Amino acid sequence: MITAEHLRKTFPGKGKDKGRVIAVDDVGFTARDGEITGLLGPNGAGKTTTLRMLYTLMRPESGRVLVDGADVAGNEEAARRALGVLPDARGVYKRLTARENIRYFGELHGLDPKLIEERTRRLAGALQMDDFLDRQTEGFSQGQRTKTAIARALVHDPKNVILDEPTNGLDVMTTRGLREFLRQLRSEGRCVIFSSHIMQEVAALCDRVVVIAHGKVVAQGTADELRAQTGEANLEDAFVRLIGSDEGLHA
Amino acid sequence: MKAMLIVWMKELRELVRDRRTLLLALVLSPLLTPILVIGLGTLAESRAKSQIEKPLAIAIVGAERAPNLVAWLGGQGITRKTLDEDPDTAIRNQDEDVYLRIEPEYAAHWRDGTPALVEIVHDSTREDSKIPVKRVEAAIDLYRQELGALRLLARGVSPAVASPVVASHKDLSTPEARKGLALAFLPYLLILSAFLGTVQLVVDTTAGERERQSLEPLLATPARRGAIVSGKIAAACAVGVTALLLTMISLKVGAQLSPGIGRQMDVGTTAIGKMLFILLPMVFIGGSLLTFIAAGAKSVKEAQSYMGVLILLPMIPTLILMVSPVKNQPWMFAVPFLAQNQMLLKVIRSETIEPLTWAVYLAAGFGLAAVLWFAATRRYHQEKLAVSA
Repeated sequence: MITAEHLRKTFPGKGKDKGRVIAVDDVGFTARDGEITGLLGPNGAGKTTTLRMLYTLMRPESGRVLVDGADVAGNEEAARRALGVLPDARGVYKRLTARENIRYFGELHGLDPKLIEERTRRLAGALQMDDFLDRQTEGFSQGQRTKTAIARALVHDPKNVILDEPTNGLDVMTTRGLREFLRQLRSEGRCVIFSSHIMQEVAALCDRVVVIAHGKVVAQGTADELRAQTGEANLEDAFVRLIGSDEGLHA
Repeated sequence: MKAMLIVWMKELRELVRDRRTLLLALVLSPLLTPILVIGLGTLAESRAKSQIEKPLAIAIVGAERAPNLVAWLGGQGITRKTLDEDPDTAIRNQDEDVYLRIEPEYAAHWRDGTPALVEIVHDSTREDSKIPVKRVEAAIDLYRQELGALRLLARGVSPAVASPVVASHKDLSTPEARKGLALAFLPYLLILSAFLGTVQLVVDTTAGERERQSLEPLLATPARRGAIVSGKIAAACAVGVTALLLTMISLKVGAQLSPGIGRQMDVGTTAIGKMLFILLPMVFIGGSLLTFIAAGAKSVKEAQSYMGVLILLPMIPTLILMVSPVKNQPWMFAVPFLAQNQMLLKVIRSETIEPLTWAVYLAAGFGLAAVLWFAATRRYHQEKLAVSA
């Protein structure tokens, strides 16, 4: 379970106007185990910054993050052990094979070689990456790279999974496969958070949706709740209403 | 500690698979340094030898006025040749190094027993003409002394009367120290290759990792950042030490192939080992400093733009010493680059190094490396470092 409470983060402004840019302001939500929580918002809404605070890469200026009930501040290492993270940046080492990429992260998590081997086999099966597992990742397609990055993020079998726009740049078939994989993670009782700016994806997958715009949470709930809240039958219209107009923001 | 080892292994595995970078790091310096040192040394030596021993043919204007002198010069290996162009023009065009002009009144002065003028014409700014000019000067001087002595004897005077004072040189430099003179630039080359030998690897593992967007996932693992940086620095140092070892081995092999260089510097196994040990702190300083700098750069290109400045760093002490040579002081062995330079010169000159000097040198060298290493680990704790784009 991951809980975010009143998260706030600003960055120094650039150029003449030296005011600080508010990236995230008073963001709070709870992602429960056995559920998929979607972070939905347009580009630049603050999704990636929020996620970075969740996986301890950034320190919130105010507010706190709880992973499985424990505050991550001061316990970053333990929090990272409990989290599987697919960041926005998902570069793989191109002179290593996919298997070696996964093994490297497994070793950094302190797993023994046998266990890594076993987990790699299972993840490779679930993500359908057996045919390129032992190839050097140079020249991999976007989908193959993303699968490798996901596999290495989950090699330590974390209870909580954070994925930053996992379907970015993937084709339809790969996206469908990935959705199936996320549902599988949910059925295993894990807490899954993923961010997206694509409506259909969130609608197809998520148990709960957190809509973020301009660094703030503008609405959260199940898809049905959001539809009811905005009075729109179509979720996409509801989303536009929520983020686009003042009326939507105050609904 | 374990995480550091994992990172170390992984960086080296990646490097081994990157043939081009590996070749650049491990082969370039070991191949280039001995070629430069031995090649240049041999070239200078053979040139000097040929200029000193080869018969020298020069133009002599008015040779018919002093047939005895010309004949005597011929006996000294300086022969006469005729020029098609004006000899002054030939000197200016650098076609000729030197020529002799014998004054028209030579015979008259000779008969009167007054000094007869022989002009040595040359361009003093030309490095190349120095040896020929010296040879001609020395030959004429010898001729002058001999004939002067004969004239005095003919008048019944001892030639010793004409030389009340004689100045002579007594060179106290050891033969070993004289060797070092020709190899003044060897320390610079060695320090540079120890200092910057790891640059390819460091830039690739730090700025390159950031550019390729694999740093953020790495920092999201539980591995401590200090361990990650230390692993990267250790990988760089391992490569640096290997490259250094190869350089020293090839220097020794090269020195054995070219006997000239062996006479000019100490290439005994002990000396080679000492040089290797002296350069060790430099490898660690280089690895940590480069990591510190490259970690702050957003791209490989940005990181590489700093390297142009770094190449100059080892040059500074050598240049300062060239302009104002000072005696060795204890503090010198605590100043990076200068210390390495002085220590290497001591080894090349076969001087003994005091235990105190060793202590100051090693403490300063490894101390600085530790400070830089700490700075690099601090840099990896910065929040903005993880954010790639």
